[in-house]
Amino acid sequence: MTSTVYIRILLASIVTLACFAQGVFTRNVTPAPRGAPSGIPFPVTFTDVGQKAGLRMRFTSGNEQSKKYIIEANGTGVAFVDYDNDGRQDIFVVNGSRLEGFPAGQAPANHLFHNEGSGRFRDVTSEAGMARSGWGSGVCAGDIDNDGFEDLYVTYWGKNALFHNNGKGKFTDIAPKSGVDGDGKEWSSGCTFLDYDRDGHLDLLVTSYQKFDLASTPPPGKTSNCEWKGMPVFCGPRGLPFGKVTLFHNRGDGTFEDVSVKSGVRALEGFYAFTAVAADLNGDGWTDVYIACDSTPSIFLRNNKNGTFTDIAAEAGIAFNEHGFEQGGMGIAVGDFDNDGHIDLLKTNFAGDYPNLYRNLGGGIFEDVVLKARLAVNPQFVGWGVGFVDLDNDGWKDIFQVNGHVYPELDTKNGAERYRNPRLVYRNLGNGTFEDMSASAGAGIQDAKSSRGAAFGDFDNDGAMDVLIMNMGEAPSLLRNDLKSGNRWLKVELQGTQSNRSAIGASVTVEAGALRQTDVVLSQSSYISHNDSRLHFGLGKETAARKITVRWPSGAMEEFPDAPAGNLVRLVEGTGQIKIMPLPR
Amino acid sequence: MRWLGVIPTLLYAAAGVAETPSNLSDRAQKLAAERNYDEAIKLWSQAIGLSPGYFPALFNLGYLYFQQQRYSDAAPLLERAAKAELRDFNTRYLLGTTYAKMDRSDDALRAWREALSIQPQNLRLMQVMSVEYSKGRYFADAASLARRALEIKSDDINIYLLAIKSYQDAGDDAAAFAISGAAMAKFPDSARAHFEYGFHLQKQGKIAEALEYLQRAMTLDPAYEEPVFFYGNLLVDQGRNPDAVPYLRTAIQIRNDYVPARAVLARALMNMQQWPEAIEELNRTIALDPKHPQPHLLLSQIYFRLGDEAKARQEKEISLRLRRANPTILEAAQSRPFLR
Repeated sequence: MTSTVYIRILLASIVTLACFAQGVFTRNVTPAPRGAPSGIPFPVTFTDVGQKAGLRMRFTSGNEQSKKYIIEANGTGVAFVDYDNDGRQDIFVVNGSRLEGFPAGQAPANHLFHNEGSGRFRDVTSEAGMARSGWGSGVCAGDIDNDGFEDLYVTYWGKNALFHNNGKGKFTDIAPKSGVDGDGKEWSSGCTFLDYDRDGHLDLLVTSYQKFDLASTPPPGKTSNCEWKGMPVFCGPRGLPFGKVTLFHNRGDGTFEDVSVKSGVRALEGFYAFTAVAADLNGDGWTDVYIACDSTPSIFLRNNKNGTFTDIAAEAGIAFNEHGFEQGGMGIAVGDFDNDGHIDLLKTNFAGDYPNLYRNLGGGIFEDVVLKARLAVNPQFVGWGVGFVDLDNDGWKDIFQVNGHVYPELDTKNGAERYRNPRLVYRNLGNGTFEDMSASAGAGIQDAKSSRGAAFGDFDNDGAMDVLIMNMGEAPSLLRNDLKSGNRWLKVELQGTQSNRSAIGASVTVEAGALRQTDVVLSQSSYISHNDSRLHFGLGKETAARKITVRWPSGAMEEFPDAPAGNLVRLVEGTGQIKIMPLPR
Repeated sequence: MRWLGVIPTLLYAAAGVAETPSNLSDRAQKLAAERNYDEAIKLWSQAIGLSPGYFPALFNLGYLYFQQQRYSDAAPLLERAAKAELRDFNTRYLLGTTYAKMDRSDDALRAWREALSIQPQNLRLMQVMSVEYSKGRYFADAASLARRALEIKSDDINIYLLAIKSYQDAGDDAAAFAISGAAMAKFPDSARAHFEYGFHLQKQGKIAEALEYLQRAMTLDPAYEEPVFFYGNLLVDQGRNPDAVPYLRTAIQIRNDYVPARAVLARALMNMQQWPEAIEELNRTIALDPKHPQPHLLLSQIYFRLGDEAKARQEKEISLRLRRANPTILEAAQSRPFLR
């Protein structure tokens, strides 16, 4: 056997060991240090009153023990909307489905709950014509025909729906007739109404998470994109076909034209898109769009003022995190957290990562200040719905975030991760930093659910902002904010005349005392959800706002005089006068 | 005079001597030693033709092909050699390495696992496998192997470092932190151990303590660039940009081609709105590492802030193209399933 000694292998000569140098840009981030407790009392307590209020339905989103396909994991959006203009926020929730289907007549549907006052809701789904089933995703609201009643667009895996509100408590799906139902092959997720060309009619932007096809999607564990910490799990989104963005122009006659190609949005590629928000983010008076994308760069569509858009997310600093990493973007909060007059963004991300607190430096340039703001303290959760909302009416917008993992299989493992997670509440300290108050904000915060959509609004008109939450496989939570504070507040409702009647895209600046707060009217935010359209401003100890300035979507700037605290004021474009509106309880 | 090597073959044939796999293989070996590879290949192939399971010919021809970087020719021969000699470590090791060269990571690991079962104490192989497991995202296996290596040999700092990295990749920061603490205790004069401990203190959220250990690492070995860079990076993360700049510059002085340090320095300069200096630093970074997307992204953001949208777009497009060429380089956390 002399041949065997001819070659003696020198191990070191064949394989060079990799360099073990430590890298800064590590995955799986750990919580950043918390600041010392401020010691300032936080007078906010959240109590889940959903069942008592009559929100009796259960969300369906595939199998709640084990998910075979990604379609089962992402959940749905929810909405606060006053569909009958009675001054009380009603509730609309989008429902999903399951892979094995349902016997005829038993498929879960979306639900519309009418706010009856005194904290009670009545399910009016059937009588309102809203009982559509299917794999629903997101919801956005806006008055597409300027008739004074909010309409709803609902996205699906399949054909989308445009529910036109007839003002008499009835909705009709006019999507096919209007040309906005889509090709039925996409899994649409986000949507937002916006008036991108300032013609006074609300246009519509729809995002697709992906072109989803059960037949071509591999089963759990099939490839490296189908595993999580040793568990075979559903595949994706990596490895599955990307989504797209579609823009429809409102012709003003009840129909829409697909302008995706000529507006430039169809040229975007390589993303899994979720929530879409429409607001003037660069301060030029035209409505832009920001889209949170999962596992791919997020998108910032700057309105070029000529019917086209350009994605400048990378240049503006809001496509990636500050180290240039792609992130699993889910939800978006929009608001001026530092009261500097610029609209900031907060994007929730997947577990093992921090959210992004994108501070707007002006001119549409952003910096991620999540570490500086002390918000990088809970990276263990998958974050979804999120809002900048002044919970204690001190004039500084706090943050509310809902969480929930996408793999229910985690509950069968010994690891620290769980499918159901508590909510998070961060108090704004007014100095650019936040304090995690989740542990002391009531049972409604500690209640662990696997939540997705969240909407922010004042359903009982008591001047404290409440939260509506979608919970996977469970009933919705309606977290009532039992605020014990002497702080005052002001609500502002806009009505466009030259602009779209919903005033979507308008920004409002309220000056009271030393503070100058800015907020925007949105059609969608949080996670594919819709908030109470009335803008809520905490005034602290101030008894009135001395000035309200509105930048209307038409581009017009308008000032309104003193508004006394504790009221809802309606501002009609071009009148320069405030009108105090009733706030029925 | 390459043709001379052919003469023995011709003589054998002329003399009518009965060829055996053994003598064919022996002659092939001599020819290979004389670098007459073509003839050696012929003889080993003949030997295999006569005896398809003849191990020496299968192995040696496989190794020759491996050396010639003909990996797809080497693999089937080594597979057959492995079947012929069930307890041969070298065959399995070489087969694994061949698969690794062919980017067949899972097959490589399978072959190496068999090799390790033959030599269960082979530390070198454990290290190689741990690295390959990590590359294939089998982080739990990588960590467990590194732990095993550490149990066999606890006086080699390189094995500690491998274990720390493996546990960190596996998402087990607590274990990585514990091992870095053990490394600190075992090697109290090691700057590297201090750096690792400082790094993991930072991961635990103990920034002040982390900075202290990084300082100690710098004192122990002033020529070691990593703690200097990381110290500066931590300061940037805390918004202490002017404080960070001298550290980052020192790290670059120590190692001129230190790309991450240059990128972070550029970020600090951006934060301080020192645009020309930031651009200069990013251009240097690009010259050193033209394939990394991040410097181009930062350049894009600088030009955008300076109002030069054309240049901003150009740099963004380069950055996105480089990202697409290497999609795992800066991908989202959940895009990389890590196994516990």
